[in-house]
Amino acid sequence: MAVTDVKNVDAPGRETGRVVRHKLVDRLYHWIMAGSVFALMGSAFPPIFGIKFEWLTIHWVAGVVLTVCVLIHIVRAVIFQDRMSMVITPTDVKNGVRIVKRSLGKDAPAPVKPGKYNALQKLYHLGVAFFILSVIGTGIAMLSKIDTPFWKRNPYWLGDSDWGYIYAIHGFAAMFMVSMVMIHIYFALRPDEWHLLRSMFRGWISGKEYKAHHDPARWPAENK
Amino acid sequence: MELFRYSRSLYGGDANIIGASWDLFGWFVAAAAVFIVAHAALKFVTGKRHPEAH
Repeated sequence: MAVTDVKNVDAPGRETGRVVRHKLVDRLYHWIMAGSVFALMGSAFPPIFGIKFEWLTIHWVAGVVLTVCVLIHIVRAVIFQDRMSMVITPTDVKNGVRIVKRSLGKDAPAPVKPGKYNALQKLYHLGVAFFILSVIGTGIAMLSKIDTPFWKRNPYWLGDSDWGYIYAIHGFAAMFMVSMVMIHIYFALRPDEWHLLRSMFRGWISGKEYKAHHDPARWPAENK
Repeated sequence: MELFRYSRSLYGGDANIIGASWDLFGWFVAAAAVFIVAHAALKFVTGKRHPEAH
């Protein structure tokens, strides 16, 4: 199906136009990352709680896949995408204050529409980035403790207590990721977020959704 | 409940940290569940109070 970027959805006749939200490469990144995270969790936690199987190969291969994905994402985000779209701005903070006030029943103006991502999505991204980079950094170090077809193990370049801290950081970041994934799935399944879930499959949101949920000044949709 | 797992030396030496305590796993799941329920309840209540707000 053809997907059309529209520059100005206010233009007559463009109401039914589609706005690209996630390009194919970004959707592939998201779903490969999701698959590798589920493989990592599924190979890490069940053995801890008594379900025994050959988990190690699944775990380190999924970890390498995740690492490569995240490296590609960082390069793409820094060089080829709008870096500022994920930065928390004063407008996001002001919006947050308004939302909290209104939630508490106090008078406050309605929050303004966000750009491509709202403040909660930006906060979530910040948290996931921190925990994912923590598991990746410690996971890369832990790769030196196993034999693979590509390298031989060398577990002696760190002392026992240093390895303890590496394992502790890896474990805590992994448990935080369980919480983050649960919250992510919850938001993805909320009916008011279905257009975002669809865009992660098909790439686009409708012009009507674009107008309803986003400020074109903060997220200008461009023509292809 | 401990935050870390420790190795105990057979010879009475200091205990070393060997990782995070897996007893905390349930707390991380519970914390996410509490957040989800609280958010859903808040959205339900504020959706009724401010139907125009997104």
